[in-house]
Parts: sequence; structure tokens; C-alpha cells
Amino acid sequence: MISTLPAFLFSPVFAAVAPDAAKGSTLDKGIVIGFILFFVVTSIVITWWSSRSTKSASDFYVAGKGVPWVQVGIAMVGSYLSAASFLGCAGDIGVFGIDSIWLSIGFFGGYMAVLLLIAGPLRNVGSYTVAGALHRRFPDDRVKLAVMVCTIVISTFYLVPQMLGAGLLFEMLLGWNFVGVTVGLGVLMSIYIIFGGMKSTLYNQVIQAVFLWIAMVVLTVMAYFIVGDGSFSGILKTAYETVPPILAGKNPEAVQAIAGLSAEQAITAVRQIMPTADSAMSIGVKTDSTLAMISTVIALVFGTAGLPHILIMFFTVPSARAAKKSVTLCIVALGIFYLCAIILGFLLFPAIYPKLVNWISQGASGVGLAKNMAVLDISNMVGGPWLMAIGAAGAVAAILSTSAGLMITVASSISHDLYKVYINRNATEKQELGIAKITTLVMSAVAVGLAVLLKNENIAWLVMLAFGIAASAIFPAMLATLWWKRTTRQAVISSILTGLAVSTLFIVLLFVKGVKYKFLGLSVAGGPGLFGVSASFIVLFVVSLMTKDTGKDPDQFMALAHKPDVD
Amino acid sequence: MSEPDITHSSPPLSGMRRKVLVNFGLFFLFFFFYLGAAVVQTPACKSLAVLPVLGMPFGLLVSLLVFPVSWLLIVIWFKKAR
Repeated sequence: MISTLPAFLFSPVFAAVAPDAAKGSTLDKGIVIGFILFFVVTSIVITWWSSRSTKSASDFYVAGKGVPWVQVGIAMVGSYLSAASFLGCAGDIGVFGIDSIWLSIGFFGGYMAVLLLIAGPLRNVGSYTVAGALHRRFPDDRVKLAVMVCTIVISTFYLVPQMLGAGLLFEMLLGWNFVGVTVGLGVLMSIYIIFGGMKSTLYNQVIQAVFLWIAMVVLTVMAYFIVGDGSFSGILKTAYETVPPILAGKNPEAVQAIAGLSAEQAITAVRQIMPTADSAMSIGVKTDSTLAMISTVIALVFGTAGLPHILIMFFTVPSARAAKKSVTLCIVALGIFYLCAIILGFLLFPAIYPKLVNWISQGASGVGLAKNMAVLDISNMVGGPWLMAIGAAGAVAAILSTSAGLMITVASSISHDLYKVYINRNATEKQELGIAKITTLVMSAVAVGLAVLLKNENIAWLVMLAFGIAASAIFPAMLATLWWKRTTRQAVISSILTGLAVSTLFIVLLFVKGVKYKFLGLSVAGGPGLFGVSASFIVLFVVSLMTKDTGKDPDQFMALAHKPDVD
Repeated sequence: MSEPDITHSSPPLSGMRRKVLVNFGLFFLFFFFYLGAAVVQTPACKSLAVLPVLGMPFGLLVSLLVFPVSWLLIVIWFKKAR
């Protein structure tokens, strides 16, 4: 066994890769820079255009609540697809084999809870922030404070790996300075959030999502016919014969034997040297814990439904029905994307097997390199430098769109839920917007600073923690508020604090004991999913039965949350 | 800053039970399929996962089925939740 599942789940991208690591690939830097410039210029033009119509707080926070559902659905795809999805999902299969397919499926599944349980009612009762929705039923400032703390922690844990990933990607591909890239990215996102608010963020996310999605689909279709001869069974047959690169790369004899061979020849040669080794279709090359798998699945399903940067997007559409339609579009698009990522992962064996094995043979940094570069390398193979450059630009687009969504979420939360509630209750709309803009700058600086500080650390588990905290602290409270009339103010606060406490325990254990430490049999790097969600729901239920404050007119709240849909 | 208008909302609580049944029913259907598919793909269920079905291992098949099953449930949901 190589590691437990959750540790891998969010570790595919940017796990400490050496600079100049892309040596050997034929990346055309000019084309990559051209595409990146396209994104930068497009972002600035969109920001300038949307800034003209961003006047009020509603415009800034939720784009005036009148954005068409198609646009929000596509933007959701952009907000959710990080570089880990674009490069890492397929790359991880290329390293470990079939064990890694659940990286893609796991990410995909989260939106079903969002659609069926959260989207519609949340849109009906919410205004600008996630905390606002809960506060509507339980007008207690402590509810806002607790959710705001969770929002900041979740978004920071999610944002830092994005910034770190961007810096490492540019350093790896183009040899650019890590600090310069992360600062540049922070400045770019700050500009388009500060001047264009949510409207600009949504438009940019739409462009980036469309680019990213098309890049993945085109690449997979081309690779399927060029490398896989249009036969899925043929691709699986090759995978059955293949010794996973993570095993072959650690066998010096195998590494030596494949020098100069084609992928097909190399697969046969390695199998002859390692006849009893597991294949890329073997289960257990990477996953060794069913408990960890369950915890991860719970964190992903319930965590997505608690991610503030996803949930606030429902406030940008005109109605609950529009919110549901946008999530549906997002689910279909994500499904096709992740299905492509899985197929592409298996296509890496017949395409670039010798390269994968060679990368792995370089040690820990080589493993990161294989996961990061595999998709770009197969792009080069099937479509030449242009497709490779498009792939690289796609990864950048993924990072930009996800990070922007996270930053505007924190800005909204601090200005609306902290400043307006605890610091200046009489704040004007202008003052509140000013705080949101300052927060964007500060958040950007904090994320860049943390990315620089943690550059040499493998902090990919932070994203898993973000899902775990969202699942434990936000989701149970949100679900009960929206659906259970009997739940109480005390129960909601207790549930949030319990989820946060269990998550904090995992964070402390991670820092003190390290990523390999197991708590009650569950790897701490897998996040608090199973324990956090269970504890939070139990507390919610018990405290609800013990207390009586069911909020401000729960009947009316339920009627509003579940009012009949209108377009 | 405008808050959602609740004065014009009708009280649809009579249909609430049906809505809970449909939404939670479909969600749990999805969740247990999703969780089951994930567990099948672990070493604990290796013997089941490797059984060949429709030209591929059972574990891979049920994992990939998560995609169409989700889409099917969404179609059902849009029809039932009207």
C-alpha cells in the first residue's frame, strides 16, 4: 500500500515539485504566455465593463440577483474545478491506476446534496451570505459569527493551495519566479473583485470554465481515438497488463529496461521483469482503508453542500427554480468533465508510460511531477504544442476561477457578517462595500503570504480539511435550519461549534502528529468528515430535543424556504 | 439592503411532506449508491470488485454508473418535484 485514500485525494497537484521540472517536454512558452495574457486581458476588460454596472451592495455581493441561471451554472463549474481536477484527476490514475478513479467521482458527487437539499430553499431565504440565511430564522448574532469563522477558515484552507499551485505551475512550466507569480495572481484577482464585484467574478468564471471544459473534452476525445484507437475495452486491456508506474518506477531494473522503448514495448518489458506485480486495474495499490474511504465520501458529499463559495452563488439568480437549474447544468457539465478525466487517466498508459515510470524513479518530487505533467504531456502527444499550451492555460484558468470565488466569499462574509454586525451597526452601504474591498486586498495578501511560507510543504490536505469543516460545521446546521421546524437556535449554534471543534482537533493533530497519524483508526489527513458530521448531527438532534427556541416564526420561515417554484 | 420578501409567500406546508419524501428519498438513494460504489472499490471488497461484468470489473462499472445514476435521479426529481 502506498498511502491512505484521503491523503491522496487532494494531493495530486503541486506536491513539492522541483523547479525546471518540465525539462524534457516540448512546451512552447510563447503560446502558453499568449493564452495567459488572453486571460489577463479578458479579465481586465470584463472588470472594466462590469464595474460600470456595479453600484450597490447587491451588485457587488450577488450581482444584483438577476444573473441568468445558465451563466451561474457555468460559473459554478469554473468555481469548483481547480487545477487538481484538471491536471490531477487523470494524472493520479496515470500514477496509481484504478484506485484513483474516486478522485474524479468523489469531486463529482458533492453537488447532488446541493441540488436536492440546499439550493432551492437557500435561495429563497438567503440574501448575501450563508450566515445571512441561518440568521434569518435565528436572529442571533452568534450564529452569524460562528458561520463567518467557518467561512474564513474553509475559504483560507481552500485558497492557499490554489495560490501555491499557481506559483508552482508557473515555476515548473515557464521557470518564472514563484513569489512574483503568486503576488501577480493575487493582484489580478483583487482588481477584478474590487472593481467588478460578483458580476465580474461570474463573467470571468464563465470564460475560464468554458475554456477548461472544452480543453478537457477535446483532449480526451482526441486521445481516445489517437492513442486508444477508439476502443474502451482495448484501453482497459492495456491497463490490465500495465504495472502501475508508482511500482515500476521504484524498480531500478524496470526503469533501466524501458529506456528508448515505446509505451507499448515498455509495458510489456516491465511486466516481464515484474510478472507478479499488481496491475493498473488492481485495487489496493493506493487505498488501504475502507473507513478512510467512507470518511472521504461523506466529506465530499456533505462538504460541497457546505462550501460557502459555492452556496453564495445561489443568491445571484432570480429564483429558487433558477438556482436548481443552474446546479443541474453544473452537475451535467461536471459529470462529463470528470468522466473524461477518468478515461484520460487510463489513456496515459498507452501514451506516455515510459515517461511516467521515469518521473516516478526520481523520487518524491518525481511523483508530483508525474501527476502534474502527465496531462500536459499527453496533450503535446496528441495535439502538439498548441494543445499542450491550451492545457497549461486551462490549469491557470482553473486556479483563477476557484480563487476568485473564494476571495469574494470571504470579503462578503467579513463586511456583511462581522463589520456590519459587530463593529459598525449603522454602517452605510458605501462603508460596507469599502470594508469588502479592503478585505479582498488583505485576504489576497494573506493567501500569497501563506503560499510563500508553505511553498516547500505538502499542504494539499488543506483542501480536504476545508471539505471536512464545511461538512461538519456548516452542512448539518444549514440542513436542519432549512428543513426541520423542530430544530432550535441553541442546537444550530452547538452543531456549528461541534463541527468546528472536531475539525480543529484534526487540524491540531495534523500539525502536531503529522499527516500519517491516525485518530480512532482514521487518517487525520483524510479530514474530519466521518467523525465531524456524525458528532455535529448528534449534537444538533439532542440539543433540539432539549431546547425550545425554534426561531423567529418557523412556520413562516418554512413557507418561505419551500414556497412553490416560479421562473 | 433588500431582504427576501416573505409577505407574498404562500404557505405550502401541506405539500411539505411530499417534498421531504421526494428530495430526501432521492438523495438517500443517490448517497447509498454512491457510498456503496466507493466501498466496493476498496480492498475490503476486492473479490466483488474484480468480478467481470459487461466487459469491465464490477467495481469500475458501479463507480462509473454514479454519473448516469445521478443524471437519472435529477430527471426524476424535476418531474416529481413540480
